[in-house]
Amino acid sequence: MLAIEAKKLTKEFQVYQSRKGLSGAFRDLLNREYRTIRAVNEIDLSIEPGEMVGYIGENGAGKSTTIKMLTGILQPTSGMLKVNGYDPHREREKFVRTIGVVFGQRSQLWWDLAVQESFQLLQKVYRIPQEKYEPHLKRMIDVLNIQELLDQPVRKLSLGQRMRCELATSLIHQPSLLFLDEPTIGLDVLVKEDIRQFLRDINQELNTTVLLTTHDLGDIEALCSRVVMLDKGNIIYDGDMNRLKREWGDGKRIVLETEREYELSELQATTEGLPVEWEKKATHTYEIKVPGDQVQVPEVLGRVIAQGIAIQEMQLEEATAEEIVRKIYQEGMTLD
Amino acid sequence: MVQFQLLWEYFKQYMKARLEYRWDFISQFFTDLMSQAINLVFILVVFGHTQHLGGWSRYEVIFIYGYFLIPWAVFTSFFNLWGFNDKYIIRGELDRVLTRPVHSLIQVIMESMAPESLMGVLTGGIVMGWAVWHLPLDWAWYDPLLFIMFVLGGVAVYAGIYVALTSISLYSDSKSDIQPIVYNIGTYGRYPVNIYSKIIQFVLTWILPFAFVGFYPASYLLGNGDWKVYAMLTPVIGAVFFSLGLYSWNRGIENYKGAGS
Repeated sequence: MLAIEAKKLTKEFQVYQSRKGLSGAFRDLLNREYRTIRAVNEIDLSIEPGEMVGYIGENGAGKSTTIKMLTGILQPTSGMLKVNGYDPHREREKFVRTIGVVFGQRSQLWWDLAVQESFQLLQKVYRIPQEKYEPHLKRMIDVLNIQELLDQPVRKLSLGQRMRCELATSLIHQPSLLFLDEPTIGLDVLVKEDIRQFLRDINQELNTTVLLTTHDLGDIEALCSRVVMLDKGNIIYDGDMNRLKREWGDGKRIVLETEREYELSELQATTEGLPVEWEKKATHTYEIKVPGDQVQVPEVLGRVIAQGIAIQEMQLEEATAEEIVRKIYQEGMTLD
Repeated sequence: MVQFQLLWEYFKQYMKARLEYRWDFISQFFTDLMSQAINLVFILVVFGHTQHLGGWSRYEVIFIYGYFLIPWAVFTSFFNLWGFNDKYIIRGELDRVLTRPVHSLIQVIMESMAPESLMGVLTGGIVMGWAVWHLPLDWAWYDPLLFIMFVLGGVAVYAGIYVALTSISLYSDSKSDIQPIVYNIGTYGRYPVNIYSKIIQFVLTWILPFAFVGFYPASYLLGNGDWKVYAMLTPVIGAVFFSLGLYSWNRGIENYKGAGS
C-alpha cells in the first residue's frame, strides 16, 4: 500500500471579489461577485512508505492547500486521494490516528497547559495504552532533550524549545506518516541540525514516511532524496534532488585568484576548445563557468596550470538548491 | 463513554490551567453571581409594584427564574463558543483540532468550556428552593426525573441554536453579529411567555424556542396544566434543534476553507 496516493487531486476556492471604493462596497452589499481559484490543479502524487519527500514551491503555489487535503483538514474539490489507505476527510477520525502533523507556524500543543499535561491529554485523545506510551515517550524526551521543559507552560517556551516539543507531540502515537510544514522556520542553526538528525533517525528506525514543506532548502538537501516542486497549483518537478542539480545547476564555477593581472583573452586562450566561460570578478580574481556534464573540472584546471598561469587561491563552487529553485521559477521548467 | 472520560480529562486539565489565573477565575465567578443577583432584584422590584405578572405570583416568577438558571448554567459552561471565530477560524486553531481523532465539535467544546459557570446550577437551585418554600407544590415521584429531562432538553435547545450560529463562521469567515442578538433573546425564556405578544410567543416557541428552556417546563413543575403539552415537548424540541445545530456544524466542517497558509 502506498503511503500517499493522489490522482487528479484538485482544490478550488470561491473568492469574493470586492469592488473599488465606497460605492463599490455598497454594490458588494447587494450583489457579490465570486471568482473561482484553482489552488491545486489535478496533481498526481504517489509516495512509498518510508520515503522522505520535500514538497517545495513559492508562497501561494498550493503547498499548504495540498498538505491540508492530505491531512484531512480540507475536502478536495475533485480527484482521488488515499492516504495510509484512508479517505482523509471522510474517514477523518480513523485516519488521523495514523498521521503526525507539525505546522511550524502554529502550535499543536495547548497554549496554557504544561508540556507534560498536553502529552497526557493526547495519550487519552489517541487512547494509547500506558505500557506502549511510557517507553516511547521517555525515549523521545531523551532524544529531543526536553526533560527540563516538561513542567513549563507552552506559552513560555522559546521557538526552538517549542519545536522540539511539537515533534514529540506529533509522534506520540507512533504514526507511520509525518507531515512537517516549515518545521525549522525561525530556528537557529544548531537546533535545525538537531531536528534534522532526529528526523533522519526516526525515518530509519521506524520507517516513518515524511512529507516536508519548507522554504529552507537546506532541510530538503539534508533530508530528502526526492523533491516535488509545485508552481501555480501544478507539479512541475517530481524526482530526485541530484538530478535537479545536475540538469539545472548550471555546472560548477571555479574561482581563481591569480598572482598578477591577466588579460581575459590571455586566459581564454588557455582553455581554447573547451565549452567554458571566463569572467573577471575583481582584480586578480577570475571565474570559470564549467557547464553540466560535457567537461570536467580537473581537465580545465590542468590546462590553465599547464599554460603557466600563476594561481594563488582556488575555489570550487556549486549552485545551491536555493539558486536552482530560484532559477526554475524565473525561467520556467522545461525538464521532461 | 470514551468521550465522557475524555471530557473529564479535559475538565481536570482545564481547571488546573484556569486556577493558575486565580483572579480571572474568581472574578468570572463573581461576575456570574452579580448578574444573577441583579436579575433577581429586578424581579423583586417589579413585584414591588404589582401582585401578579400575567397571572403569575411573585414566587412563581422567582421559581421560573431559578429553574431557568440551571439549564442556562450548564449551557454557558459547556458551550462557551463566543471566541470561536477569532480563535479557531482566524487564528487557525481549527486546523489542529481537525488533525485529532475526536469529533471536532467535542474538541472545541472541551477546549473552551468554562466550568466555573456551573455554579449557576447551585444558585438556580437555591433560588428555586427559596420560591418552593413559599409555594404549595405537590410533586409526584417522577417529577424529579422529568426535571432532569427538561433541563437536558433546555440545554439542547440552546446548544443547538448556538452551535448552528457558531458554524456560520465555517461557511464564511466574516464576522457575524447575530450571535449576541440571539443570545439576548435567549434570556427571554426566563419570564412567563404569556406576558409577551402573540408574535413573540410564537417565535419563542417554534422559531427560537427559548420558552422551552425556562418557562414551559417550569410552569409544569409549578403545577400549571395549561402548558403541559409544551413542557412534555421539551426533550423533543431539544433533540430537533440540537440535531439541526450538529448538522449545520458538520456541513460547515466539509465547507471549511482553512486559514490562510
